[in-house]
This record gives sequence, structure tokens and C-alpha cells, in this order.
Amino acid sequence: MKQKMGDVQKIRRDFPILHRKVHGKPLVYLDNAATTQKPRPVIDAISKYYEEYNANVHRGIHALAEEATAAYEGARSRVAEFIGARNSAEIIFTRGTTEAINLVAYSWGEKFLKKGDTVLLTLMEHHSNLVPWQLLAQRKKINLEFIHVTEEGFLEEPQETILRVKPKLLALTHVSNVLGTINPVRELIKFSKTLDPKPYILIDGAQAVPHFPVNVMDLGCDFYAFSSHKMLGPTGVGVLYGREEILRQMPPFLGGGEMIKEVYLRESKFKDPPYKFEAGTPNIADVIGLGAAVAYLNEAGMENIRAYDQELTAYALEKLFGVKDLTIYGSRDAARRGGVISFNVAGIHPHDLATILDEEGIAVRSGNHCAMPLHTHFKINASARASFALYNTKEEIDILVEGIKRAKKILLVS
Amino acid sequence: MDIYRDEMLDHARNPRNQGKVANPTFEFHASNPLCGDTLDLQIKMQGKPPKVSEVAFQANACTVSVAAASMLTEKIKGMTTSELSKLDEKEVISWFGGSLTTSRTECAFLPLKALREATRAGF
Repeated sequence: MKQKMGDVQKIRRDFPILHRKVHGKPLVYLDNAATTQKPRPVIDAISKYYEEYNANVHRGIHALAEEATAAYEGARSRVAEFIGARNSAEIIFTRGTTEAINLVAYSWGEKFLKKGDTVLLTLMEHHSNLVPWQLLAQRKKINLEFIHVTEEGFLEEPQETILRVKPKLLALTHVSNVLGTINPVRELIKFSKTLDPKPYILIDGAQAVPHFPVNVMDLGCDFYAFSSHKMLGPTGVGVLYGREEILRQMPPFLGGGEMIKEVYLRESKFKDPPYKFEAGTPNIADVIGLGAAVAYLNEAGMENIRAYDQELTAYALEKLFGVKDLTIYGSRDAARRGGVISFNVAGIHPHDLATILDEEGIAVRSGNHCAMPLHTHFKINASARASFALYNTKEEIDILVEGIKRAKKILLVS
Repeated sequence: MDIYRDEMLDHARNPRNQGKVANPTFEFHASNPLCGDTLDLQIKMQGKPPKVSEVAFQANACTVSVAAASMLTEKIKGMTTSELSKLDEKEVISWFGGSLTTSRTECAFLPLKALREATRAGF
């Protein structure tokens, strides 16, 4: 039985932190694009591992090691099923989206890209899907090109740009962490597959996987990266999905224990994916926690989560557009964006706005949200950002709007 | 918590010493990587021993940074280089009555950062 998202109060009861107060006011947590809060089953799964079966994985033959390995690999299968991978071999655990993208840049990039090749990115990338390619470009003398962004926050002529720059790799975000824009990645991948040679495609799904159903086979991408902590799971875990046939051709990223079959003094033989890419003792507890987060999301239902996210976003857009002198970056259409809204109020610095909202218990982000080139594109230094999760309510959006009005009263001379 | 007190807001809304100094002895462009805010500080030293005779700043920054710059430029007039070098974070925090949260202290320190860099480059 799928739970209805109308039961938001029931969901809120699962998140212990939502019951605390901040500066004497109930916490209104609207910084979910930075990291989400964790439900009780996730916290319990991590404690249970440490209290009942803490052991290293894949190496002991004692009972605890077997239980730990089963739980760790169980989480991998659950993640594989959650995003529609062919099998668990396609799921590599990393420290986060950033490390997942760096893994591709270092391993795949070093082997498959050569001087003069082009990597195509977009102006709306998070620094984590920009800086690894800048570093690779310096090492390998490859070119970086960018799909531009329209005033409404959509990709500008993406297909034309692909045809013009003929990239070896197209690496783009599924959902902008600033604009909330949901990019038409499925269409772009379909289009790219008609080309000869076909570009490889990496999708940064950090802001997508928590908010709507994602199926990597249906998308047809080569790589898909996302983070546990933005989808109700613990920090310190990320996922890199890679097509198995590509992973098999890629050299290891980090070397050490866990990733080898045989070791001699001057050379080694490596394990098959995914283990080839998981050197050292992994973050066992937090991978198990991610498994619990996936179970929680499945229980709530990703379709329900998307519907509710859209409802909250539409409500927030309508309310925020009603505030005088407030500029929202990105589309007005909630159907084309996820629950991330960045904005500025004329005459108020976003840091000042965030401080005054904090006094009311409201947590929003202010700054450039690790997307400085996009802010430069919109000719601003910084913005304030409210972002939603399945436990947020319309009442909280009303509190946000009241908080913004209070900030205007305090900071603006009438 | 009460960062936005009247004194602070007065400095932010009506910043003292905003503008430029002709032929400055020291100048520095400081930025806050957290938000991309920028602040240009210019100082002219005159006399024996040299003391701050003129000081001005231009900022594209938040209320806290602008207020801190306004207060800093008021305080340092007439100071010698050794007095300038003694100005520290603790004093800047005291200007705000201890009301700054940890994340906002960086905003308040932006003018001090500019002052230090400016004078260091000038020595």
C-alpha cells in the first residue's frame, strides 16, 4: 500500500529533527537542496549496524562479517532497483556526487579522452560537474564548451550546440540546484544516440533522484551520479551508476585493498566492477543508511513525492511572485521545475535576508550555491534559495513569505 | 540575537567614508568567496610618524560588511601603522555587540581583511 503524500503530518513524525525549535520558533527547514533531514528508520539502521553487526565487509568469514556484507550488498541491490540499473555491478559507492564525477573524469576521462576532444557542459552546472572537467582539461588539453541558459532558465539550443561542438562527452545536470529547471535529458540522450560518433553522456542527478522517479535504462545515459544525503540518507555516500560494458573498460580510480584479485610486487589484477572502483574499507554504515532511505522513499512512492513537490512548488511560486520587488530566477511553470526556488529581494543582500529568516526559525540558503558561473550569467553575486522535501508544508511557505516581509520592514527604508 | 540594531542599520544605510581617496598610500580589493561580495579600501597616510589622514571604501556587499566598513573607517582615522596592525577580530565583533552568528562574522571581517592586506602590501 503506497502512502499518500496528503499524510505529510504522518511523515513529519518520522523526522525527529523537525520537532526542535530554533531561536524559540519551530524549525522551518527549507534548505533541502543542500541536504535533507533524516527519518527515524535511517538513523536506526545506522545505529543497528554499529550496535549489532559491525564488521568489515567482503573479507571475514565470521557471522558479523557475513551479516555486514549482506546488509551492504543488500543496499547496493536496492539502489540498483531504485534507479532501474541492469544489475548491482553498475552501482559504485563513492563519497558523494562530487567523487562520483571525479571518478569518471579521472578513470574514464584519462583513458578515453585525448588532446583536442571536447567535453560539453552547461552554464547551470554545480561546481562539482565543472571543476573536475577543468582539471582534466588542463591535464589532457581537451576543450570545454557550454550550452547556454535562457532568461527563463532553460537550456538554450542544446541540440544545435551538440551538433556544432561534436562533444566526446556531454555532462549535464538533470535538475538545476539553483533554478530548479528539469532539463530534457531523455530527449537530449535520444538525440545524441542518432549521431555518429555518439557522445558519451553523464548526468548529475543530485537534485533529481530525491524528487521524482529516475530510470537510468529508460534515460539511456552512460553515467548517472547522485548523493545519499540529499535523499534522506546519511552524508558521506554517493552513487555512480555506469553502464557495465563501459565500467569494464575503465581503469581503476583509487588503488588499495578491496579492489584487487591478485597482488604481486610490481603489478596487480583487479576485481570486476563495481569492486574495482571501491578501494579500501567502504563507508559501510552509511551505505546501509542509504539503503534504508531508499526503502523509505519507495514506501512514500516517488510518483507521490513528485506530485507533492510540484504542488508545493506551484504554491510557493504563486506566493513569492506576490511579494513586491522579489525576483525569482528560472521558470514560472512548476511542471518544468523541481522544488528549488532561488530569488532576490531588491535592496536586500541574501545573507541579510537569511539571517533575519533564521531569527524566525526558517532555514534557507544564501550565496552562489556552488554555481558561480550561473550567478555571473544572471549578473548577480548571490541569491537566496528555498528548497523543499516531502515533509514540507504550505504553512511553512506562508511562514517564509511572512519572514521575507519582516526582513523588508527591518532592512528597507520606506 | 539582534544583529540589526539601530546603530548597525544606521551605518549600513548611511555609510561613512564611502568613495575614493586621491593618491592612496595603501589600497586593497577584498572579496568574500562565500557570496562573491567585494570591498575596495583606500587609505592615505600623512605626517611623522605617518597617520591615517584619509580613508574611503566602496562595497558591493551585505549590510554587515558595509556597516563594518563604515565603523572601521571611522575608527582608524588618525591611527599609525602600528595601531592599525593591532586592530583585531575581537574588536570588530564588539562593534556588533556580540550579536553576530559564526557564519556572519566572515561578513564583518571583510573590511579588516582588506585593511590587513592593504597595509601588508604597503610595508
